[in-house]
Amino acid sequence: MKVAATYSIKGGVGKTSAAVNLAFEAARAGVRVLVWDLDPQGAATYLFRVRAKVRGGSRRLVSADGALAAHIRGSDLSAVHVVPADFSLRHLDLHLEGAKRPTERLARLLEPLTDHYDLALLDCPPSISLASESVFGAADALLVPVVPATLASRTLTQLVDFLDDQVEAPAVVPLLSMVDRRRKLHRELVEELRAEWPELLGTAVPAAAVIERMGLERAPVGVYAPSSPATRVYRALWAEVADRLWPPDPPRRIVA
Amino acid sequence: MPTTFTHPDLSAAAVADALTASGFEVDAPAPSTRVVLDTFDGRLRAAGLRLELRAGADAALVLLDQEGAPPARLAWDKAPQWPADLPPGPFRTRVASLTQERALLSLLTVTSQVRAARRVDRRGKVTVRAELHDRVVVDGELLPTWLVEVRGVVGHDDDRERAITRLVALGLQPADGDVVVAVAERTGHALEGRSSAPTVPLDPHDGALTAFRRVLANLAATIDHNLQGTIDDIDVEFLHELRVAVRRTRSVLAEGKGVLAAEARDRFRQDFGWLGQVTGPARDLDVYVLGWEGYVAPLTLHDPTSLDRVLIELQARRQAAHAELADVLRSDACRDLLESWRRWLVDPDVAASDDLHIGPVIAKRITKAQHKLITDGRAITPASPPERLHDLRKDAKKLRYLLECFGSLFHTKARKAFVGQLKALQDNLGEHQDAEVHLAQLRDLAHDLHARATIDTDALLAMGRLGDHLDRRRVQERGDFVERFADYDTKANRRALAGLLAEPADA
Repeated sequence: MKVAATYSIKGGVGKTSAAVNLAFEAARAGVRVLVWDLDPQGAATYLFRVRAKVRGGSRRLVSADGALAAHIRGSDLSAVHVVPADFSLRHLDLHLEGAKRPTERLARLLEPLTDHYDLALLDCPPSISLASESVFGAADALLVPVVPATLASRTLTQLVDFLDDQVEAPAVVPLLSMVDRRRKLHRELVEELRAEWPELLGTAVPAAAVIERMGLERAPVGVYAPSSPATRVYRALWAEVADRLWPPDPPRRIVA
Repeated sequence: MPTTFTHPDLSAAAVADALTASGFEVDAPAPSTRVVLDTFDGRLRAAGLRLELRAGADAALVLLDQEGAPPARLAWDKAPQWPADLPPGPFRTRVASLTQERALLSLLTVTSQVRAARRVDRRGKVTVRAELHDRVVVDGELLPTWLVEVRGVVGHDDDRERAITRLVALGLQPADGDVVVAVAERTGHALEGRSSAPTVPLDPHDGALTAFRRVLANLAATIDHNLQGTIDDIDVEFLHELRVAVRRTRSVLAEGKGVLAAEARDRFRQDFGWLGQVTGPARDLDVYVLGWEGYVAPLTLHDPTSLDRVLIELQARRQAAHAELADVLRSDACRDLLESWRRWLVDPDVAASDDLHIGPVIAKRITKAQHKLITDGRAITPASPPERLHDLRKDAKKLRYLLECFGSLFHTKARKAFVGQLKALQDNLGEHQDAEVHLAQLRDLAHDLHARATIDTDALLAMGRLGDHLDRRRVQERGDFVERFADYDTKANRRALAGLLAEPADA
């Protein structure tokens, strides 16, 4: 099982939209996905129509190995399961502090689920905290949405600098988010960001009304607008993310 | 775990109404097709998985996990024969890691008119799903009943239980498993695939002749089941299984001295010897092509494509060998052999005298085979010609076949442990033999390609390096033999075999 996290120090950059739509596209590509909503706002939980309730709160959630399975809920997509969030997750840092090796805690909770899922997708709250460090300890890749804003590059630099000091840091996979190609400033900033961060994924998520409608539809874009350009974008984005997580290695065809 | 219901008297329309009355949203009927795919020997099923190509409203290639993990659903509309036909990713990797050298085959096709149904909670979230399958056709045969499958959603067990309780209250008969399982059970389709295991149930007090015929009949069935797949060259395992069954047959016939009638025994040994021989070249080339990457990878060639021409030639030879073999397997001679063999196996006159017990007969044969293996192995020195190792390999096979074909006479765990020791020796002898054969084939190929002027200097040089590599491998296996044989020829191992023969089979 690979672990990816949609993460940014900044809020409102499209993390949850990316997590929910990438989960949908991953499932469509034959991947068994566990979305773990770590944000007390529970937006991913809401979008998957799952009840925002963590039994026993975040204390119980991080208390014992193997406990995560009891919190898993099915979604309307058969290949996507969800660990929902509720407001108790605002105390996650506090409860992690009381745990042994807190930065390894999330990885240890995911460990028993390795054979059940191909991908755990962690939707993180916007912060840099002990919970974030535990995410870094669990994740193979951080999917970092970057909006075309003047301070975006600085925020990304802060994250990369922080991870440079870690022994086993996840790969940072930045992706452009909420891009409005009609705005000259966005076009210029995108160019600058691409020049400065060549590792940015080629696909840029647009600022689009069809994506904003997710909150009304309570579903990934691919469910209610399967032919929309936004769905095609998330599909292309998933293809890039999948290549990072599972570098292509075609199996041998035995007989010619 | 899904539950599937039916009822002999209620109509599908009445069940749809009952679902609606229970709070289900029920869709209009839509055509549905499910094709179950697995290897011939059911490797996916053995791993607790089922691969289905679904067409209709639910179209996808679905990998269902019987162990409770969510299904993997790949947007795909063609039945793959090989995992390589699928896009890269975890789906393909999971399938490929299990199927390995075996092709995917269609085991069962179910078509129906399906009405998808679901119950949703106040958030609009699905909490339980149902599918009502009507006009179910299985491999062309119409089932006289409808089926309704109820499947829960993780975290909503109560909703599933309530739905099941309602259907049971209507008098519907539940069974564990989904629609495909229900259909397979009703129509007698085996989803577990065909095993080529040589072990048949035997009792030490069974008549020896009866036991030999039971073992041989099982091997004959394996030959029959693998014949068409070999002719069609579906995957390399059909030929391998057929070939092993032929060799086992021959070996069991040889061990049947004093039990089986001499005339028939000699005749069929000779005939199966011929069949074994004609299958050899195609199998040798299968092994060569299968092992190609392993041979070439360590060479670290300057130009990795320099041996492509050789591989293409090998594949062409392989195809030609398989075509030739298919002709033989379709021939009157082969058909006559297999028909007369089947007739002999069921001929009641053959069983006229059956006064020996199989237990002591096989114990004696195994003791003798072990003695020959040990004696021949100890006689091999660094100066012995390679043929001695080849002969020893045959000794080991003979012993292994006895232990496997008559395996039910012995304690399973102890037998498998001993066979494991024997297998380690066989692996060494097999690797040595493969390197010998492949080196000879490579030389022949080099001469042939050079004579036909169809190979450039770089490729010839690369073939030289491959030849060196094969020769080093041969020498290394030969060098390892002393240690491997010493590992086998231990007092503990000899005692283990003696204990195995003295112990009764599992209760």
